[in-house]
Amino acid sequence: MEMNKPYCKTTKELAELGLAGLPGEMKSSDHLIYSSPATLYFNSPGAKGFGVKRAGLAVPESVMLLVSPGCCGRNTSLFRSAPEYKDKFFFQLLDDTDIVTGRHLTKIPKACEELLEVLEKQNKKRPSAIMICITCVDALLGTDMERVCRKVTETTGVPAVACYMYALTREKRLPPMAAVRTSVYSLLEKQEKRNAADINIMGYFTPLFDSSEIYPLMKSLGVKNIRELSRCESFDQYKEMSKANFNLVLNPEARAAAQNMQERLGMPFIELLRLYRIDKIHNQYKSLGDALGANLDDSQYYEKARKTIDDFKKKHGEVVFSVGEITNGDPIEMALMLVEEGFKVKEIFATVGELNFRFLKRLAELSPETLVYSNLSPSMMYFLESKESDEKIDVCIGSDAMYYHPDVPNVEWCDDEQPFGFDGVIKLFERLDAALNEDKK
Amino acid sequence: MKKMLKYLSPFAPDQSGACGVLYELGGLIVICDAGGCAGNICGFDEPRWFTKKSAVFSAGLRDMDAIMGRDDRLIDKLSKAYDQLGGEFAAIVATPVPAVIGTDMKALKRMAEKRLGIPCITANAIGTRYFDEGEEEAWLNLFKEFAGKNESERLKAQSTHIGILGATPLETGYATAEPLLEMAKAAGVESPVIYGMGSDLEVIRNISSIKENYVVSPAGLKTAKYLEEEFGIPYSVGFPFIPEDVKRNVSDSIDSLLSVLIIHTQFAANEMRNQIRTNKDNVKVDCATFFMQSRDYAEEGDLRLSGEDDLAELVAKNNYDLIIADSDFERLLTASGYTGKFVDFPHFAVSGRMNDDSIMFFS
Repeated sequence: MEMNKPYCKTTKELAELGLAGLPGEMKSSDHLIYSSPATLYFNSPGAKGFGVKRAGLAVPESVMLLVSPGCCGRNTSLFRSAPEYKDKFFFQLLDDTDIVTGRHLTKIPKACEELLEVLEKQNKKRPSAIMICITCVDALLGTDMERVCRKVTETTGVPAVACYMYALTREKRLPPMAAVRTSVYSLLEKQEKRNAADINIMGYFTPLFDSSEIYPLMKSLGVKNIRELSRCESFDQYKEMSKANFNLVLNPEARAAAQNMQERLGMPFIELLRLYRIDKIHNQYKSLGDALGANLDDSQYYEKARKTIDDFKKKHGEVVFSVGEITNGDPIEMALMLVEEGFKVKEIFATVGELNFRFLKRLAELSPETLVYSNLSPSMMYFLESKESDEKIDVCIGSDAMYYHPDVPNVEWCDDEQPFGFDGVIKLFERLDAALNEDKK
Repeated sequence: MKKMLKYLSPFAPDQSGACGVLYELGGLIVICDAGGCAGNICGFDEPRWFTKKSAVFSAGLRDMDAIMGRDDRLIDKLSKAYDQLGGEFAAIVATPVPAVIGTDMKALKRMAEKRLGIPCITANAIGTRYFDEGEEEAWLNLFKEFAGKNESERLKAQSTHIGILGATPLETGYATAEPLLEMAKAAGVESPVIYGMGSDLEVIRNISSIKENYVVSPAGLKTAKYLEEEFGIPYSVGFPFIPEDVKRNVSDSIDSLLSVLIIHTQFAANEMRNQIRTNKDNVKVDCATFFMQSRDYAEEGDLRLSGEDDLAELVAKNNYDLIIADSDFERLLTASGYTGKFVDFPHFAVSGRMNDDSIMFFS
């Protein structure tokens, strides 16, 4: 390997190596992890976006007790001052003896009582739940947090829910961001009768764009109430989610939570992927319609997306892209869409895995020279100084690509509002158009 | 309940302190963690991360690494990174995970030195302690490893500089050496050089070029004593880095006041007390700190705080007219019944707020 050069492979090379033959530099378990300023989300879930701590508080009117060494809660001061998180976070700090003996567990009920006293003194409403977040220390101690939570509920009368911020298990069957989704839906209780006209959308901690076609499409099937956790303003509204006929899962990280709801509440689920290739989006809606025994007419949305892409292409020509992974979408699937639509993709910053390798294989056929970088490789600290001229790239997608090419027009595409379906594609191309227009000015 | 934070957020931990000491010295730094600790350091406690490149990495430990104690895998990864990136030394900074599984950091040091063929520094951080304890260990291990090694004869003959020991962004709220050097010069420090900020490992290797050390944090005291004993370099203490606007706000607030409490690191608080006394000699000034406190530099009435309850009690017992502290403490002070004046004296290790506006990337 070349010294002081960022490691990369072409899509063709990776496709030939196969998923099982991926080079060590592209497997995070085989090398030290670089917390690139472009990708801090990976190592610091609390630093940007939704990590376990913010996600745990998705239950309306809940508060969180973080039980950990001080270091695990350090970055909480970033968002603790935000109005929506004021008086939401409490910390039970572990000392040297606690982390070896686990004696801190006996103090958790008392800590919960104290935090309730503080809220009462401030005339705050009694919380709907206490989310008790534990970290690597308790993962290693083998803490039975469910038992501790039962004890807290008995002592305080407030439901307590465990949230596992176990970074050590990031690549396990139930990684922290999947586990916390199970936690936040765990307070929903089985209903004797569910409402056939109600559904839940699961997957994100922020709502989809209001303009997403998924809302009118579902309503065209007779659905009256579409609920999302992030749109619930009160605990009562949250509880309404237990009445849904089924869950529509838009993010694989919510699959475990949906399975859990299926087992506990008898609520089935249908899973859709966030895709950017419009033919595939159409196929997915068709399958959804088939599963529900109805015909979903998505033609007007399809046509609008088609027109948006065509207009963009007519206006800007054969645009060259750099596609990053800090974005609301899979960078390889997104790159595949761009190449299929006749654009060029010079490079992708991505974590190659089981889910997106099938996109990569197809991309390798259409664009074999596209370079794939792993943001987590230590060699990436030399990307900025070793990169070739920015001139070959017209526009970047994703905040990491934007970091690596600060002088190139860009669309960050990782805001809180979640894109989905044709509407996501339309919005992406509208923003790309705006970024390129701005550059021309 | 002790060890509970109801109003404050946790302060910068020991692993952040250790990393801050080593950050600019050209080493290959590995945070021995699963990812979250390195993320906290790079994304929060190390303001230089976005402006000054440094080889700081996470070991990316997974549960089986911890359960099986696979130190050899860590050394393999370290060696692979060294082949790609090089480095003057390796540094392994521990976190709660190695603390829980009882990792032998000395063994890791030996293994790394043998495999890489360069010196390795370790810091036994636990994550339950504050940044200054991590800094203390890192400073001492750093100077023990490198001070006086490979000294050039030319520099050996010149003892011209005053070495500022203990300055880091976590201590000072400044991410670059330039404003600190200016403030030091304005305070009468001649030909200052700041260890670990705006200077490289050569300054430490050529330790004989230092005629005196000026210690700006209790975390540097052990090292200063070591350098005095080993190399005969004398030291003094002080903190010339109080921002002008803080001094001005204190001066404006102090008119008819009789009783003041300053909450900060010990040397910063002492310096502020000296400034107040220069203008007003009839004011009672107590200094309190959540961080290290050397008895040698404490006055009667100064207090080491162990938690929120301590501070609440201190404020309830004493009728302070003015409290000078990071504004993150205000909520706690208000909840404790304090109604007097307040002047904000930012402390990066408490609130993550910098004094250097150019590096204010968190709002």
